[in-house]
Amino acid sequence: MEPAVLQASDWGFIFANWQTIALGVVVTVLLTATSLTLGFALGFPSGAIEVYGEGWLAEAVSTAGVLLRGTPIVVLIVLFYFALPIPQLGSLPVVGVKVDAFVAATLALGLRSAAYQAQVFRGSIQSIGEGQLEAARSVGMTKLQAIQHVVFPQAVRRSLPGFQNEFTIVLKDTSVAFAIGLAELLTRAERLYLQPGRDTAVIEVIIAISAIYFVLTFTTNRTLDYIYSRYAIPGGNS
Amino acid sequence: MSLLRVDSVDKSYGDEPVLHDVSFGMDRQQVEVIVGPSGSGKSTLLRCVNRLTEIDSGEIYLDDEEIHGVDENELRRRVGMVFQDFNLFAHLTARGNITLGLREVLGLSKAEADAKADDYLDRVGLADQADSYPAELSGGQQQRVGIARALAMDPELILFDEPTSALDPELIGEVLTVMKDLAEEGMTMLCVTHEMGFARSAADTITFLDDGEIVERGPPEQLFENPEHERTGTFLGELTGLHQ
Repeated sequence: MEPAVLQASDWGFIFANWQTIALGVVVTVLLTATSLTLGFALGFPSGAIEVYGEGWLAEAVSTAGVLLRGTPIVVLIVLFYFALPIPQLGSLPVVGVKVDAFVAATLALGLRSAAYQAQVFRGSIQSIGEGQLEAARSVGMTKLQAIQHVVFPQAVRRSLPGFQNEFTIVLKDTSVAFAIGLAELLTRAERLYLQPGRDTAVIEVIIAISAIYFVLTFTTNRTLDYIYSRYAIPGGNS
Repeated sequence: MSLLRVDSVDKSYGDEPVLHDVSFGMDRQQVEVIVGPSGSGKSTLLRCVNRLTEIDSGEIYLDDEEIHGVDENELRRRVGMVFQDFNLFAHLTARGNITLGLREVLGLSKAEADAKADDYLDRVGLADQADSYPAELSGGQQQRVGIARALAMDPELILFDEPTSALDPELIGEVLTVMKDLAEEGMTMLCVTHEMGFARSAADTITFLDDGEIVERGPPEQLFENPEHERTGTFLGELTGLHQ
C-alpha cells in the first residue's frame, strides 16, 4: 500500500473540492486586508502619538498597546466575538461568512496589529534625526507640516521591513478565526477532512493549505520588497 | 535702526547657565561673527534668535518687534538658518529641499517654486545637481544646498551655526566662498564659526563669547590686533595659529 500522502484519491478529493478551498482563500485574504487596514489606520497615528503626544491621549494609547500585545490572539478573538454587542447582520454574499464573526475577527486581528504596527512606526519615527524636524521648522513650517512632509515620508520608508513581518503574522493568524467558526481557509480545510469517511485525506489537505499560505506570504513579501526598493531614497541606506 | 537687537538675554539648561546678560545689536547688511570656546553658548544664542530655543529672560527684537510677540513660524520665515550638520531633508532632491518651504510656507505654485529653487541652486553653483539626493552629494555641496534653502525664503537675516565644522578641510573653501559672496551682496548674516580667515575678511563685527557672556565685541582689526582683554587675544591667537 502506498504511503498516506501519496494516495491519488486523496489528492483527487482536494481537487474535486477546489471551490471550497478557493472560497477559504478569499475569506483569508479579505480578513487579512481588513485587519491590516484597521491596524494601519490606528497603528500609524498611535505610533506618532507615542512619539509626539503627551497627557492622557499618549497614556491611553500606550496602555491599550500593552494590553493588546499582552493578550493571546485566540483569547482576543473569542472575547470580542462573545463579549462585544456586535449585531447579527446576516452573511457575506458568495463566501457565506457570518458578518458578526467577520467583524469580531477583524477587530481582534486589527487592534492587535495596530498595537504592533504602532511600535514599528514609533521606532522608525524616532530614528529620523531631530535635525530633520528642526530644519523644517527653521524655514517656518508648523510642527504638523514638518511631521507630515519631512518626518513621515522617511519614517514610512523605514517602516516597510517591520510592516512586512506584521503582514505575514496577520495573514497566518487569520487562521485563529477557526476558534469562532469563521469559514476562512483553515476552517474550511478542516471541514473537508472531517467529512465522514474522509479522514485519510488529512495530511494532503494540510499540505495543500500550507502551500497556499506560503504562496500568499511569498508573493506579497516579494511585492513589498519591490515597493521598498522602488521608493528607497537614492544614495541613502533607508 | 538695528535689524536685530538682543537685550539682556539669559538662558539656562536646568541649573546650567548658558547665556548671561547677553546684549548686542546688528544693522541690515552687516556680517557679525560670534567666536568662542565650545560650550560658550554660541549655538544657543543663535537658536534663541529664531526661537528653536526659548530664552529665560531678556528681549530680542527683529526690526523693532519683540520676537516673542510674533508667531514663531512667521519669525522663522524671516530668519533663515544654516546648520552644522546641513540637515537636508534626506528624502528630497536638492531642488525638493528648497521647494518644500516655498510651497508649504510661502504658498508658491510648483512651477514658481521650481524656478526659484533652480535659480538659487545656480547661485550656489549647483545648477547641475538639482535632481540629486543629499546622500549623493558631497558635504560641501550639501551645505551649499542648505544655504540655498535658507536664502530662497527671502529672509531678512540668516543664522549660520558652524556651517563648515562638519566638513572635510578640502570642502570648506567652496562653502566659505558662497558665504563671502552673500556678504558682499549685502545679506545680513549672524555666523558662529571658527574660520578666522572668513571672520577677518567678511565680518563687520566680531563678538567673543566665553562662559555665556560677551567678553569683547568690535571690528576684526581691533580683536585680532589690539584686543582689550587678554582672554580674547589668547583665544583668537590659538585659533589663528591652528589654521596657519
